[in-house]
Amino acid sequence: MIRIFMISDRNNIIERFGSLCRENSYTFDSSSDIKIITELLEAEIQDIVLIDNESDSFVTKDILKNIKPFCENSILILLAGKKEVDKEIHKSINSIITEDFTDTLVLSVLNINLRAKNSLNKLADTNKDLAASLYRQNTLYGISSQFASSLNRERLIEFMIEGLDKTLSFSLACTLSFCSEEEPVLLLNSLYEISDELLNAIKVRVIYNYNSVFEGQEAPFKLDTDSLKVIKYVKYPANRFNFTLFRFDNMFAAITTGDTFYGCVEVFKENHFSTEDSKCFQTIVQQVSLPLKNAALYQEIIETNKKLERLEKLKSEFISIVSHELRTPLTSIKNSLDILLSGRCGEVTENAEKFLSMAKRNVTRLSGIINDLLDLSKIEAGKMDFQFKPVSVNTVIDYVKSALSGLAKEKSLELATDVNENLPEVMADSQRLEQVLTNLLSNAIKFTPEGKKITIRSELKNASEIKYHPCFEESMKNLIGDYVVVSVEDEGIGIAENEYSHAFDKFAQIENSLSRKAGGTGLGLPIAKQLLEAHNGAIWCDSIINKGSNFHFAIPVETISARQKETLSIS
Amino acid sequence: MKNILIVDDEQDIVESLKFVLETAGFNCYTAFDGEEGLRLAKEIIPDLIILDVMMPKINGYKISRLLKYDSKYKNIPILMITARSQEEDKLIGEETGADEYITKPFDLDDVLKQVENYLGKQN
Repeated sequence: MIRIFMISDRNNIIERFGSLCRENSYTFDSSSDIKIITELLEAEIQDIVLIDNESDSFVTKDILKNIKPFCENSILILLAGKKEVDKEIHKSINSIITEDFTDTLVLSVLNINLRAKNSLNKLADTNKDLAASLYRQNTLYGISSQFASSLNRERLIEFMIEGLDKTLSFSLACTLSFCSEEEPVLLLNSLYEISDELLNAIKVRVIYNYNSVFEGQEAPFKLDTDSLKVIKYVKYPANRFNFTLFRFDNMFAAITTGDTFYGCVEVFKENHFSTEDSKCFQTIVQQVSLPLKNAALYQEIIETNKKLERLEKLKSEFISIVSHELRTPLTSIKNSLDILLSGRCGEVTENAEKFLSMAKRNVTRLSGIINDLLDLSKIEAGKMDFQFKPVSVNTVIDYVKSALSGLAKEKSLELATDVNENLPEVMADSQRLEQVLTNLLSNAIKFTPEGKKITIRSELKNASEIKYHPCFEESMKNLIGDYVVVSVEDEGIGIAENEYSHAFDKFAQIENSLSRKAGGTGLGLPIAKQLLEAHNGAIWCDSIINKGSNFHFAIPVETISARQKETLSIS
Repeated sequence: MKNILIVDDEQDIVESLKFVLETAGFNCYTAFDGEEGLRLAKEIIPDLIILDVMMPKINGYKISRLLKYDSKYKNIPILMITARSQEEDKLIGEETGADEYITKPFDLDDVLKQVENYLGKQN
C-alpha cells in the first residue's frame, strides 16, 4: 500500500488530490497543523509527502525543516503556484508540480517518483545484503583462524558460540558440550535471563535432541535433567525470556567428525533465520569439529607422555627402594653370620661352621644378584654414572687378578698373565672395567676344572685385526681405529658355537642347567656388554667345546682426547 | 675408653656394630633416628660417629653437615653408611664432610679396621 500525505490548508486542493489518490488505491491523509503533521509522520513512514506552497497558515521552509527527520525515506513533492520557490527549497525536494497539471500528469509524476524510490530501495537492500555477506565472510575467516589457534577443546567450543553469535545474532544458544574434562555440560548463551521453568523445558529439549542424534541407537552417555550441569551466560540479566521462546525460529546441528561426537548446538531467534544464516550455522559447526578432533589427539599425546613420565619415576623409585629395603636386612643377616663365624660369641663347632658358611655364601650370592639387577636397571634407565678418566688397563688386570687369586687358589687353578707392557691409557671408568674383568675372570674360575690354567691377555689391536664369529657382526662392525683388547682364556667346559651370542642375553644361564650348578645370576655378561657399549667398546667370545672358552673385550684408544675434553667441560 | 656414637634406624645393624666395636674395646652410644643422634653427638661429643644416610626426621647428610660446620664438633671423624653406591652420593658425602664411606652390605671387620685407623687399636 502506497501512503501519500499532503500538507495544505486549501480544502479544494486537499479534495482534488485526496480523490485522485483514493481512485488509485493510495492511502491519503492531510493536515496543516505542524504538531499533527510531525506526529503522523513519526508514526508512519510515508512514500510521498506533498507540500502545498500556496498555503497561508505555514511557511514551506519551516515545514521542510520540521519534517526532515521523518522523511528520509519519503519522496517530497512541492505543489508550486505564484509564490517564489527559492534555492533552499529546491535542494530539499524531489519534484515540483503546479496546480495546472492535469490529473494524468500529476499521477505520472507520482508514479515516476515511486518507481525511482523502489529501485533505490532495492539497490539499498542489495547493498545491505552485500555488506552483511562481507561481514559474515570476515567473521567466518576470523573464526577459522581462531579454531586453528587453539588445542583446548573447551576454548574451541567457546570460539564456536562466539562465532555463531557474531554471524547469527541469536537470542539463545543451547550447546551440549562433551568437551569438558569430567562430564557433559549444557552451555546457555542467552540475551535475557532464563526462568527455572524455562530452563527445565530447555533441558528436556536438549536431551531429546541429543538422543535423536543417535537415531534410536543407544546414546554413549546417559543424560538426565537433574544431573545435567548447566553454565549460563546472560547478556541482559534485567530482562527475562518468557515461554514463547519455543515459538522462535530455531536451527540444530550435531558437532561430530562422523566417528566421534563432541556435542550438539541449537540456536533460537525471534526473527527468522535466513538461508544464509542456515549455511553459516552449518559451516561454523562443521568447522569446529576437526580442530576438536586434533585437540583430542593432542590431549591423548599429553596424557600418554604424563603416563610415561610417571612410569619412569616409578622405575627409579623402585630402584632406590630395592637398593635400600633389600640391602638393609641383608646387611643384618651378614653381620650376624660374621659375628658368629668370627668366634666372638664363643667357639664354633665344625658342623655349625659348615652351615653358617653356607648361609653366608648364599647371602653374598643374594646381594650379588641384587647388585646385578640394580646395575642392569640403572644402565637401561640411563641412570648409570660413569667417571671417565685415563686408565691403565694393565693396572686393572693386576688389581682383579690379585682380588680373585684366593678364589683361584681354592680350586688350585693357575692364573697367568700375558700383557703388552706398552699399552696406551684408555678413557674409561676404572671401577666399571674392574667389574667387567672380575666377572669374566670369576666365570672362568667357575667353569674351569681344578688344576687347570686361566690366562689373562692384553694387546693393542686395530679394529681390522680383530677376528670374531659372524654372530657378533652387529656389535663389532662399528669398531674403527685402535683398541686395547683384553682376553680371558680358560680350560673349562666351553660354549657351543650357536650359544655364543646367547651368552650375553639376560638370564642366559637359566636355560643351561650345567652352568646353573655353578651358581651366578646370569646377569654378569649382559651387564658387561652394556658397560662396554657405554665405553664405545665391545665384548665377544670364541670357544672349543670341552677345551675352553676365550672371552675378549675391547676399549677404544682414539677417543681419548675427545672424551677428555668432554669430561673436563663437565667438571 | 674411646666413645663411638652409632646412628642408624636399623636396630639390627646398630646392634651388630655395637657388639663388634664393644668386643674390640670401644664404648658405644646408640641412636635410632637423626634427631636423637644429633642431640647425643652434641651432648657426649664422641671420638667417632658412625652415621646412616637414610633415616627418619633428619638424614645423615644433614647431621654430618651440621656437625662439620661447627668448630666444636668438626674434628669428630664421621663414617657414613649408605645403601647406595652411586658416585654422586659419595660426592655429596665429601661436601657434607663425611670422612669415610661404607656401602651396605658392609663387612663388620672392615668397619672395625676403619674405626681403628682413626682411634687406634684398643686394649
